[in-house]
Amino acid sequence: MSQTTAPAVDPTTGQRLDKRSSYDFVVVGGGPNGLGIAAYLSKWGFSVCLVEARPELGGGADNAEPIPGCSIDPHAVYFYGAAGPPLEQLDLASYGFRMSFIPNYGGCITHDHRAFFGGNTFHDSSSRDPEVYVEMLGVDRDTAKMYLEFMDALRPRMRDFFRSIYWTPPYDESWGIPKAQTPVARVLRDCLPMYDDAMLDMSFNEMMDALALPDPVRAGLLLGSWGNGPHPYWKGMALPGFACTQLQFFSGCTPVGGMHALAHALARCALANGAKIFVNSPVSEIIVHDGVAKGVRVADESLLEEKTIWANMGVINNTHVKSLPKLVSSDHLTKTFRQRIADLSLKGGSLYVANFIVNELPEYSDAPERYEGSNYPSGMALHCTTDALMELMRDVHTYRMHPTDLDHYIAWYIVHAPHDPTRNRSNLPGGVVTVNLQVPAPEDHKDGPLAVNDAKYEILDNLKQVLRHYAPNMTEDKYIKSVINTPYDSEQRNMGFVGGNWMGMRQSEDEWWARKPLPELARYRTPVEGLYLCHQTSYPGGLCLSAVPYNLMHILKEDYSEIEATTPEWWYPSPWHLTDAEGARGRSSLSTGGDG
Amino acid sequence: MSNDSYTRHIPPFSDVLSELPPQFPDETETDVVVIGAGPNGLLAAAYLTAAGLDVTVVERRFEIGGGLATEEILFPGHYANTHASYHYMVDYLPPLTDFDMAGQGLRYHKPYGQIGGVFGEDYVYLCKSFEDSRDALARFGIDQADAYGRMATRFHQIVDEILAPATYLPPDPPVDLTQALQRTAIGQDMLEVSEMSALELISSYGMRDSIQATLLYSACQWGLSPIESGVGFMVPLMVDRGTQKAFIQGGSHRLASSFARVILRQGGLILDNAAVVEITTDGDSATGVVLDDGRKIRTRKAVLSTLDPQSTFLRLLPAEAVPAEVRDAADGWVWDKWSLLSVFFVTKGKPQWKPNPNNGMIGLPTPFDTILGFDDTEDVTSFFDSIEKGEIPKFAGHFTVETEFDPTLSQVEGEDVCFFQMPAPYDWDWDGRGDEVVREVTALLDSHYEGFAESVIDCVVETPKTIEQRIPCMRRGSIKHGDYNPLQMGFNRPSVECSSSRTPVNGLYLGGASMFPGGMVIGGPGYIAAQVICEDIEVKFPFDRPDRLKRYLDTYFPDGKD
Repeated sequence: MSQTTAPAVDPTTGQRLDKRSSYDFVVVGGGPNGLGIAAYLSKWGFSVCLVEARPELGGGADNAEPIPGCSIDPHAVYFYGAAGPPLEQLDLASYGFRMSFIPNYGGCITHDHRAFFGGNTFHDSSSRDPEVYVEMLGVDRDTAKMYLEFMDALRPRMRDFFRSIYWTPPYDESWGIPKAQTPVARVLRDCLPMYDDAMLDMSFNEMMDALALPDPVRAGLLLGSWGNGPHPYWKGMALPGFACTQLQFFSGCTPVGGMHALAHALARCALANGAKIFVNSPVSEIIVHDGVAKGVRVADESLLEEKTIWANMGVINNTHVKSLPKLVSSDHLTKTFRQRIADLSLKGGSLYVANFIVNELPEYSDAPERYEGSNYPSGMALHCTTDALMELMRDVHTYRMHPTDLDHYIAWYIVHAPHDPTRNRSNLPGGVVTVNLQVPAPEDHKDGPLAVNDAKYEILDNLKQVLRHYAPNMTEDKYIKSVINTPYDSEQRNMGFVGGNWMGMRQSEDEWWARKPLPELARYRTPVEGLYLCHQTSYPGGLCLSAVPYNLMHILKEDYSEIEATTPEWWYPSPWHLTDAEGARGRSSLSTGGDG
Repeated sequence: MSNDSYTRHIPPFSDVLSELPPQFPDETETDVVVIGAGPNGLLAAAYLTAAGLDVTVVERRFEIGGGLATEEILFPGHYANTHASYHYMVDYLPPLTDFDMAGQGLRYHKPYGQIGGVFGEDYVYLCKSFEDSRDALARFGIDQADAYGRMATRFHQIVDEILAPATYLPPDPPVDLTQALQRTAIGQDMLEVSEMSALELISSYGMRDSIQATLLYSACQWGLSPIESGVGFMVPLMVDRGTQKAFIQGGSHRLASSFARVILRQGGLILDNAAVVEITTDGDSATGVVLDDGRKIRTRKAVLSTLDPQSTFLRLLPAEAVPAEVRDAADGWVWDKWSLLSVFFVTKGKPQWKPNPNNGMIGLPTPFDTILGFDDTEDVTSFFDSIEKGEIPKFAGHFTVETEFDPTLSQVEGEDVCFFQMPAPYDWDWDGRGDEVVREVTALLDSHYEGFAESVIDCVVETPKTIEQRIPCMRRGSIKHGDYNPLQMGFNRPSVECSSSRTPVNGLYLGGASMFPGGMVIGGPGYIAAQVICEDIEVKFPFDRPDRLKRYLDTYFPDGKD
């Protein structure tokens, strides 16, 4: 480790290097995953240097304050990682990270005012009467009973369900472990009487069919899946789709102060443990010698005097997997591999994000009693039925959606203010609220991304109309400031959001689990020894769960005896994790894998 | 709006959430709480953590930095330094050498061209280099270059030998200070200029009107009356430092981040979104703070407030804990005589200066500040006079093409960030006349920069009201937390009882811009507070005094200070 290591030697000249520019690990990129791995490695006792291209850390965990005292969320809006180990292992609370849990997470309203209110109230364990659910879900008694039993069976294992799917490193495809033996299948089979392996091949939409859930609850869940992961009609993604909707209910919260507070906590954990972090320092090259990653070179425009940062142990790449061939010289990646990267599908959809700063909380005309005080839902799907959603999905994926077509304005509506008073520190009269509306949109548009940017004001006006349809008090005079980021803007602000895709790439079965982003990269290793991936384009993807760094630690522990030998007390691995050796033994090893 | 769900307790409904690790405790204990993560609070915390103390910094906003703010108000993709865009005291600030700030990624850059003044046909160009400034002025005659040289040399000596070191030492009673300054010719010089007004002092050198106007605006723009006497010592500081300003690559916020890195590495804790609603006391001693969500932080050694005196003494402390004279002083605190109007623009390409055959200055690097819209010295004087009275006679001020110096402020290729700034009254119809502001400022810039109006993509206006909204202790838009006038400067800032950082409340210290010597990211209040706290709790201050401070003390206080 750094304290005992002699100054590193420049592998090209044999000269000893200034200690300042030499670290155990160099992390490229300061998004939530880069900060997460910097925190893990530095807390573990290694010296870490993280370099970020942008002026601010945090990537998608980001806030801005376009008018004084009112913060907006340009990207991530909720913290879903409450159920994961990193929160505890990195002790983020001790660096000031706080969560405000939401009693009534949200629901869905159709354009003809059929409403469903879900969230945690919906799952309140105090209510065991199926009749309550008959009314709430709009289903018959048998379906209500089935749903209740389903949730009752799952609830005690909910955390295992989440951890088996998100906080477990994917298995290597070559081990030949069948889908039915993946951790999530094992957990569900164990706890759900109605579990069927057929679910593994379903789309989320088909799973909703199987559960016989009608609109609007179904439409709300489908949109929840689309917004946070797989699109509802993608085959084989029913369980990941279901998981991300339940993550919202059972592991989600309003991060107090905004998502940037998560970036602060992660960065502060890393810094307090000795990590060095530099912003405005884009990396131009990952240095490789003899097939081994040795450090990075930062671009000339970086403020760092020392343009080369050496890594004694490894380089961790928190940038989009597609940037790998740009950062690593073609001498070290085969042509085939480069082509395979180039052929990765990034199609996943983007969002128009409008942030409206208004001087009054929107008041829904439907069931106003459900919106009182802290019951005010933090999220609502507006304008949403399954049919409309499927049509929108079709038009998004075929790039036919026109940015000004009002029929396509299914929106996810987010208000944090009732759950987090820090969101309004303005002294403006009347109480200022930020309303965030997200509309699914294609990454690109047939007339080019700038065509969408040219329609910004029209998009904002349309969204105001949608909002007013449900909350008649939202008249024009209530708006103080409106800002929007289009897919193009999102990509400008965050180079990991290629095409404006917040997830960075497609969350479909051919790029999921052991194939994410490619089978040979699924375990976070790369063809370059000592170079690892730690970006949302690796498993399990985005959502600021700190799952990628947690999973990566399992792999680093296997690859570095120094890490294995210094395993701290606070670390615990995923109970479903298989080491390479265990995995190579194939299915027989599963019995030792532990099932919680 | 109900806040009853705003809780750090786990609600009973979820089996998953009930297994969560604990959140930040409701009650914690620390050696020192620093209220406010502005430049002074962070600077003090860096020294106090270096001294081995357990320090918690609490900040009301979602970002630390206070006036060190570089934020994406030009959303999406463009950043603005919403408060300080450059710093005056970079040559003197002790933490820049005491801590490995460069090692935290901090890079100051002092532009070659510092000030451009457009007055009628004259274009006055001042550089960071003394002789280059004289060269630029020599076109008005060698006598002009010489007159400027006499002034600049004198001002620099006063700053370098007296004002700069004194910035980082507790203030002295006026009688003691006068006695001390009598010891040298430069000290006597300073006593002499202190009696003069900015206008008297600047016009005493026989310089051409356009040069005087440029210097007068530079001396007074941050809140010094041109005609008030008794604060004349500020003029050498503002003029000398005004031609030595340095900005930070990546924005002013980088200084805050660098301090934060030092603090965290030394074991300190920084909490943002944490507004203090009360300083708790036991008898006549401060014992900690209460945050707006009910969390309590108890202090073992000290509470350091970097807020304005009204916030500290009238709002946060219980009335019975504050002696009447301190309450009265806080009550009578005078806010800045004017505030600032800033208009930030995003433009397609960098604004290009319209070729002006008369200025003869084409080819010189763009100055950081260009003063625009005034006719002459008299115009500048009457402008400040009107602003002080609450009027805006016209839109005139200074303009900076920021991405010319720091390209990182725009993340969108081909788009640039620039800003116009001017002294402005708090009491004005900012809501009703916002359109007029943008129109007038754009017209002014359009008359000096080729195709400016057409190149504007986005624009954000930050008025005195928005300054106050972002940072409430800049009440009435007071960027210095309170006026610079003889009754509120030196030993009187914020009151004779508190200007040393100590207060009549045991364990409560002051360290913000409202304390001696003042604001403008000079770091004096925070540095003094850290020294005084270390002294009082008998912890060794972690660094030696800079040589410059030692020389000052040896020269002017050979028998020691009280």
